[in-house]
Amino acid sequence: MLADITIGQYFPGNSVLHRMDPRVKLILTFVYIIAVFFPKNWLGLALATAYLIFSVCCSRLPLRLVWKSIRPILPLIMITSALNIFYSSKGVELFHWGFLRITSGGLITAAFIAVRILCLIAGSSLLTYTTSPTTLTDALERLLRPLKALHINVHELSMMMTIALRFIPTLIEETDKIMSAQKARGADMESGGLLQRIRALIPVLIPLFVSSFRRAYELATAMECRCYHGGDGRTRMKQLHMTQLDGWCLLSMILLIAGVVALNFLIPAVL
Amino acid sequence: MEFITVDGVTFHYEGDGEAPVTVLRGIDLTIRRGEFVALLGHNGSGKSTLARHFNAMLLPSGGRILVEGADTADDQKKLDIRRMVGMVLQNPDNQLVSTVVEEDVAFGPENLGLPPDEIRRRVDEALKTVGMYDYRLHSPDKLSGGQKQRVAIAGILAMEPACLVLDEPTAMLDPRGRKEVLDTVHRLNREQGMTVVLITHYMDEAAGAGRVVVMDDGEVLMDGTPREVFAQVEELRRVELDVPQPTELCYELRRTGVSLPPDILTAEECAEALYTLLSPQKPLC
Repeated sequence: MLADITIGQYFPGNSVLHRMDPRVKLILTFVYIIAVFFPKNWLGLALATAYLIFSVCCSRLPLRLVWKSIRPILPLIMITSALNIFYSSKGVELFHWGFLRITSGGLITAAFIAVRILCLIAGSSLLTYTTSPTTLTDALERLLRPLKALHINVHELSMMMTIALRFIPTLIEETDKIMSAQKARGADMESGGLLQRIRALIPVLIPLFVSSFRRAYELATAMECRCYHGGDGRTRMKQLHMTQLDGWCLLSMILLIAGVVALNFLIPAVL
Repeated sequence: MEFITVDGVTFHYEGDGEAPVTVLRGIDLTIRRGEFVALLGHNGSGKSTLARHFNAMLLPSGGRILVEGADTADDQKKLDIRRMVGMVLQNPDNQLVSTVVEEDVAFGPENLGLPPDEIRRRVDEALKTVGMYDYRLHSPDKLSGGQKQRVAIAGILAMEPACLVLDEPTAMLDPRGRKEVLDTVHRLNREQGMTVVLITHYMDEAAGAGRVVVMDDGEVLMDGTPREVFAQVEELRRVELDVPQPTELCYELRRTGVSLPPDILTAEECAEALYTLLSPQKPLC
């Protein structure tokens, strides 16, 4: 189960998305996440979704991966959209029982919310799938550079992010090992109520914490051994270059937003 | 030619309000350019602590350490010393900073502030040297322990050090990974004249070194060629160390009165000695 977690993982490749400048990619992802909240009718939403599907196809990543990123969030999506069913009182009333009332407007809101969250998760996963953490944080470091004026150490923040992303798979593997070890000693993690299960996780979390601290210490030593001394005077092997490709991608995003906004005006809103 | 000079070094940890714990009690040692030194000692003998002095990760409480004439206590020279004396640690997982092999190898040279083209050249060269060039775009998570450790070595080599200090680099590896790493280190020593300090508790690894230094309780107990050191079986056993298996076999046989030479190191030498012993009339052919 744990092996399925792919958050923040990078899958090397040479697709259009892989070759994009990470700064542009980061900004576009951010803009896209905001843009999925613009559509007010089905066609607009379909356009935003199609844009994402097109991007996934461009990334040449197996669809299985995108599915993997969505699957753990599915329960969350279902709960969120289920709650939204009762939230809206617009439209025709379809069902009434006590204080619960389902309207057509509520169902539409729920569907919109579900699609938006799906696009949001898949879109941001696509960013980390196609950008190596080093370049991603490099991009973040450049983009956040203005914050230096506020005496925020942008380099350290982005270094922390690189390391966090790097250690996700390692720690997942470790969690799996500790769980097996505790199970071998008779720990019961699969039965009992919610509270009991949470309690059963304590003997997993404590060794995991202890070993993370040890790892952090060792990593710090290793980094110092490799002459790490903060961001001053550090250069990069891979320089960030914006190419024509980035221009086209930027244009496509502008077209998407323009399209969605235009559709909002042209077609009556369903929300 | 002296490369690292350890001059009367002592080291103790300051505990909070407790009595300081002495780890090194006056060490004098010289490591020459191009040498392959194995540093032996049981846990707590101070061998890792000493190694961390070689690249200024720890500073001596007393005495001094010179790396090519530069004092490790000199803060100005610290980065230069760390570049010259590259250190590889035990757990490869905890040494790699990036999720892409080539980006990880680039970490060291990037810290040195080299121009991008130069970093690229060094990364490619280092990866070729350890035989991991084909994996440059892989994620380290998917590699075997031996491969990860080779990537870690490449990460150090990309800084173009003059000396490699390896702190039990094979302790967490399977026999195949061990062989991969040791072959790489031996090749570097042989072909590029890289000075190597290998900390290990595998006696067969130490037997392949040019020089063996045995530490016990913060002091240098023995210092010589593997043959000289491993001939002192009783002394080594006293400090809870083993000797290579062929040496041990010959030692036990000698104790029961079989006449065998005392300085046997490898399985081949042992077999040959036994063969000569068992067929005294026939010459070897």
